[in-house]
Amino acid sequence: MTTSEADPITIEIIQNSLQAAADEMFAAMRKTAMSSIIYEVLDMGTGIMDPQGEIAGSGAGIPAFVGVLDKSVKVIIDKFDQPGDVEPGDIFATNDPYYGGVTHLNDIVVIMPVFSEGELIAWCANIAHNSDVGGMAPGSLTGEATSIFQEGLRLPAVKIISKGETIVPVMEVIKVNSRMPDVLEGDLWAAIASVRIGERRLLSIAEKYGTKTFARAVEAFMDYGERVSRRELAKLPKGTYELTEEQDNGQFYNVKITIAEDRFVVDLRDNPDQLDGPLNTSRDGVMVAVQMIFKSLTDPYSPANGGSFRPIELLTREGTVFHAKEPAPLGFYYEIELRVYDVMWRCLARHMPERLAAGHFASVCGTFIGGIHPDTGRQYTVIEPQLGGWGASQSGDGNSGMFCGFHGETYNCPAEINEARNGLIVDQMALNVSPGGEGKHMGGRGIVLDYRVRADNGFLTAGYTRSKFPAWGLDGGHEGSPNYIEFIPKEGEVQTFAAISGLTTQKDDVIRVYTGNGGGLGNPKERDPELVRRDLRNGLITDNQAREVFGLKD
Amino acid sequence: MVDSTIRVATDVGGTFTDLVCFEIAGKTGQSRVSTAKSATTPPDYETGMMNVIEKAGVDLTRVNFLAHGTTVVINALTERKGVKVGLITTEGFRDTLEIARGNRPDFFNLHYEKPPPFVPRYLRRELPGRMTYQGEEMRPLILDRLADIINDFKDEGVEAIAISYLHSYANPSHEQATEAAVRELWPEVRVVSSHSIAREWREYERTNTAVLSAYVQPVAEGYLRRLDEKLKANGFGGSPYVMQSNCGVDTLEAIARTPITMIESGPSSGIWGAAELGKLIGDPNVLALDIGGTTAKCSLIENGNIRIVTDYWIEKSRKSSGYPVMVPVVDLVEIGNGGGSIAWVDDYGKLHVGPQSAGAVPGPAGYGKGGTEATTTDANLLLGRINKDYFCGGEITADMVNVEKTINAIGKKLGVDAREAARGIVRIANNNMVNALKLVSLNRGFDPRDFTLVAFGGGGGMHAVALAQELGVGKIVIPANSAVFSAWGMTMSDLRRDYFVTCLTDLNEGTAEHIEATFREAEKTALEQFAGENIGSAEISFTRFAKFRYQNQEHTTEVELNGAITGEKISNIVDNFKEVYEREYTYRLDAPVEMVGIHLVAVAEVGKLSLPVREATGQDVSSAVKAVRKVDYALEGIHDATIYDGSRLEPGMAFEGPAIIEEEGTTTVVHPGNRTVVDDYGNYIITI
Repeated sequence: MTTSEADPITIEIIQNSLQAAADEMFAAMRKTAMSSIIYEVLDMGTGIMDPQGEIAGSGAGIPAFVGVLDKSVKVIIDKFDQPGDVEPGDIFATNDPYYGGVTHLNDIVVIMPVFSEGELIAWCANIAHNSDVGGMAPGSLTGEATSIFQEGLRLPAVKIISKGETIVPVMEVIKVNSRMPDVLEGDLWAAIASVRIGERRLLSIAEKYGTKTFARAVEAFMDYGERVSRRELAKLPKGTYELTEEQDNGQFYNVKITIAEDRFVVDLRDNPDQLDGPLNTSRDGVMVAVQMIFKSLTDPYSPANGGSFRPIELLTREGTVFHAKEPAPLGFYYEIELRVYDVMWRCLARHMPERLAAGHFASVCGTFIGGIHPDTGRQYTVIEPQLGGWGASQSGDGNSGMFCGFHGETYNCPAEINEARNGLIVDQMALNVSPGGEGKHMGGRGIVLDYRVRADNGFLTAGYTRSKFPAWGLDGGHEGSPNYIEFIPKEGEVQTFAAISGLTTQKDDVIRVYTGNGGGLGNPKERDPELVRRDLRNGLITDNQAREVFGLKD
Repeated sequence: MVDSTIRVATDVGGTFTDLVCFEIAGKTGQSRVSTAKSATTPPDYETGMMNVIEKAGVDLTRVNFLAHGTTVVINALTERKGVKVGLITTEGFRDTLEIARGNRPDFFNLHYEKPPPFVPRYLRRELPGRMTYQGEEMRPLILDRLADIINDFKDEGVEAIAISYLHSYANPSHEQATEAAVRELWPEVRVVSSHSIAREWREYERTNTAVLSAYVQPVAEGYLRRLDEKLKANGFGGSPYVMQSNCGVDTLEAIARTPITMIESGPSSGIWGAAELGKLIGDPNVLALDIGGTTAKCSLIENGNIRIVTDYWIEKSRKSSGYPVMVPVVDLVEIGNGGGSIAWVDDYGKLHVGPQSAGAVPGPAGYGKGGTEATTTDANLLLGRINKDYFCGGEITADMVNVEKTINAIGKKLGVDAREAARGIVRIANNNMVNALKLVSLNRGFDPRDFTLVAFGGGGGMHAVALAQELGVGKIVIPANSAVFSAWGMTMSDLRRDYFVTCLTDLNEGTAEHIEATFREAEKTALEQFAGENIGSAEISFTRFAKFRYQNQEHTTEVELNGAITGEKISNIVDNFKEVYEREYTYRLDAPVEMVGIHLVAVAEVGKLSLPVREATGQDVSSAVKAVRKVDYALEGIHDATIYDGSRLEPGMAFEGPAIIEEEGTTTVVHPGNRTVVDDYGNYIITI
């Protein structure tokens, strides 16, 4: 075998290999998971951290999970700081946002240290949404929770495998707490397989090039990330920008962003106190949202690492919705994280419209449907985020039917698989042609999706935002349309809501999901008549709209 | 009766159309291999094919077997040169094609552009009627609106119709009824039903496949017809076989019905060639690597078996979700890294190679045709790995001034001299390919050290040794005629059809009968199809695979099954699944196993030949030495390498690296200390 010094090319090859290893971890987990939210929706992330816990490489998946794993690893590093605490072959797990879990109890983070020549050289970790981790409601998520104790089993950063040996009692505790113990076990092992594959790959890299070169490569990679961020940061318009926005629940969120030569400061201190319900998030969760918007603004194309985020400063006040204090519930953290992401986006969009489009439907629209599958007699649980419309930008119309900004390489569940696996019939999956999002450039279309329930005594839980205040337009473009559910029972009145917990469903009830169109950009009257005619022909707008809203003459 | 057998394969590539011809004398069994290359002639690809046949001096009246591979389908798709398609689908689902799966691979990019559907909304129409996932009719099909739809399609200039209904994989009767009704209303139009291409679930993927198939149907059908006519006009007495993406050939009539199966015909024949070559030389575990001008493709062959999958996309990348095509395609990883890949330095001083390519025009800087950017080929020229005085077989005078200029520009940005920059380009290119090879091996639980690397295509020999060193592979084979290896692979292929059928069922003794019946039904369909082409059941052999998973999982692991499925065999099948699963994913579970679908392979041999052994005259290896020159081996530094003329190497000859083997179309780089032996077939066997 050839020897190689730490020349720039060797460094780069190691960096590429980190990325490849994170991708391999991702592929392994995806293929072995048992929950559709992991294997199909890909509500998961994988990453490699340096010995200090900074992100060195992240796999595909969703952007909202890229910045989670470093925070979890740092908690492990702090907690297990005695000699012998962290050994080769050990594997740790945490899901509690008050112990490095960042998100909510459904998301279990699995972490493995990587040792080479007796030295800790890296950490491999992943995070994935588990279908049920116990708590007061099936699927563990409910708007009714008033403390985190009702949201499931809390794993406060614990060891689950010691030097390669499974700590059976811990595993048993985890399993017995779930309403879907086999699925939880399968998913947890998928996560373990994934970090082990990462470990294997990193070891072969370190053995080949030596641990010193490996460490140098990782360090250089962070510096590279930082250089990229700082260079792009310098190009952003400097100043302090503020925005206050009313929320569906009547609260007002305030954000103040200062862009300086070398700093990107987000001040969220002036915000409401934490709620009794689960619409709270940890400070770490808000940090992830800030990192996402920062990354998109500065350098969306190169991989994110710890260095990319060095210019960020985040100010929060403990006890607020954006910095919840134990034991506040956090189940729907993702909606609040998404809200703060969207508020920052909106705050800046007016000042840098070439970088930021109009608002998108901006809700995960998490939809939880469960019951007994009439063909198998087994329990099923659907946990689905929904597709919706994205905002128009200076370069053109927004995309239709995409997952929200929180998601990325996420796939919706095909109707054919949904019907086989779950006790449901999908009666339609169509573009939402309701008005909303008109502009010189149009917002993308949301969707209309019908789930018809096949057996009695099922349940529906959902928590959508941007239901009262739809996606915002830019520069004279119209706002989008709202996200909501229309519940059409076989017997009784049609109900419309954005949030519901544990509604009992009966055979042939229809759960109709509407997701919003994205915001438009520019005056609709300035839209190219050719495009108006195209939309008309495609049945996306009516004759009347074409004439009245877009001013089409013929 | 003629006294010799002649088999010909032609492969239409992006730049060249290749030909391989075997002539086996009937009495003596002695054989002759000839090869030829000619320019590809878009859009009339058949012209290039006739040119290469003429150039090779092949007498079509004497040809017994002719196989043909073509990029006509993939080109029509990527260049958007298909026809206007109308889609008929299930009520409530006309937007499936546009909604797709909602994913955004480029996830920090807020300006992502979703790939637009191939059929606009106004040409996507719905009909009532519904099946369940179990294939039972939930609502009857009502065709009342069909006549209006057809009239609209006619008015709009639609030339092909795709039909795709929910759960047609489980019960195609609604699609069949609709197709029959369309043919009656409009006999001239091309119609493609999704179930006739794919019997697997996932409605977006299947619908898109039907749409893309309809989109290329008239183009591909017309091409195949013209090809057939030209061959016949020139005296060919038979009907050509066409290379598919599943490593097999199929009859022209069958392919003309669903030409989309040709989508990856070129890469699949090369991979098949590598599999066949591996078996021939006693190395059935093969990592196949095809390095061309713009991309490198690799695939893993375990014990002589290729792996066929149906999750294939076009135009999918880190920046785009692409378009799925649910047809049997050999499992390969393709990266934008070939001889023409452009090297570039980003704003932060990092060196990258590809995926942009200089293509054939302007080509690498060394072509001197206006190329202003350094490519991998240019780095190889500068390092003396490619002979500047024998560039492209001596057809092109290497423009070394331009090579140095472009590589210097890269070096300047990196702060190193041209030589270091060239070494960097080669190393980065190699690293990209190493990562691709890891994806097909390590990533699936296979240790590359257990495999032989078979490298071909124009750049295979150039990079193979360095890649093998990196992966710990001990043995490399550079096939004889490696520059036309895809065409060679075609001459070795069988008539092959892959049948994938989704059929979700628990795996236990009670379901064995049902599983067996599913295989029987697929076999019956296969036999009927073959019978329609006068291929008797005696000529056909079946291989059965099934896709299994632990209950509650989604993704499956494919396992080969032996013989009829009976209750007693179930526990064996479960064990086999768990073993294969554990190798790939490191653990096993004590959970129930279910079967998601079957995969039946039907193969009919079409008179495969045994490869001729090359004659050796007994000359000493020194007779093949052309020269000695300085060659830069990047990490191993500069060495005086012996340069061999590949055309003069004979079986039994052997030598040690540092060396270079030059021949028309390829250069093989042998690193210091590597032993190279020429085997009986003229392949170079390099051991590290």
